[in-house]
Amino acid sequence: MKIIDAKGKLCPLPLIMTKKALSEINENETLKVLIDNDISVKNVTRFLEDNGLKANVEKKGDIYELTVNKTGNIPESVKAEDYCSIDNAKVGNFVIAILKNKLGEGSDELGELLIKGFINTLPEATLKPKTIVFMNGGIHLAVKDSPVIDALKKLELLGVELLICGACLDYFKKKDELVIGRVSNMYEIIEKLTQTAKVIYP
Amino acid sequence: MFFDSPEYMKYKILIFESIHKVLKAEKILLKNNIKHEIVPTPKEITSDCGMSIRINPEIVNLQDITTMLLNNKFEFKVSDKEIV
Repeated sequence: MKIIDAKGKLCPLPLIMTKKALSEINENETLKVLIDNDISVKNVTRFLEDNGLKANVEKKGDIYELTVNKTGNIPESVKAEDYCSIDNAKVGNFVIAILKNKLGEGSDELGELLIKGFINTLPEATLKPKTIVFMNGGIHLAVKDSPVIDALKKLELLGVELLICGACLDYFKKKDELVIGRVSNMYEIIEKLTQTAKVIYP
Repeated sequence: MFFDSPEYMKYKILIFESIHKVLKAEKILLKNNIKHEIVPTPKEITSDCGMSIRINPEIVNLQDITTMLLNNKFEFKVSDKEIV
């Protein structure tokens, strides 16, 4: 039996660790996953059952012991992180409006560096924005070859809504290059900006 | 795809002496198609409001990058950062 320790790990890590461990053990071998929060137990159980594997959960003190028999293979194409419920991402009642591909005024070169640092750090923020809107030159950060695409994907998985101005994509001829978020329009963007406690313009 | 490289692994943070050096080093990494991220220098490393370059050693070879930067006369420190 293989045992992995996912205690103290937040979603999607217990899912990814479970998937990886299952790919490493033999057919009919048993995997035991140690987890310390019930959200992760539910996510991992749902992930296993959707893929035809039966999970048994026993609670010992504060620790859940989830055991599963490898009665089949989970296809590589199944994304474990899709089973992450967003309960443990704290999303605040605020919106970030990104109107250009740089942060602040003064130096374009510095501004382009700073916006990368800003967005790459957002996934680690205690409170995530409810929505991020991208307009005008800001859309360049949401399309193919954006230097911050990984961070934006991470935010999207954490439950942050990403809205991209459709007219802007059209203007810059980037409609076919949008890789994250959802195309939106001024009506929806105005609703988002006006129905939130605060808007941050980096 | 970032989830193919588990997030609980350790990143390497390259810390330079000034923001100008970060900008120059970034240009070299971009020119050589080396995957990297610009991040604020972690608080535990310096209290300055500095920027650093973060790389994932699972994706890119740290040795290649340090050699490349040293050949270009850059001075920098390499620090570990674990992100969960």
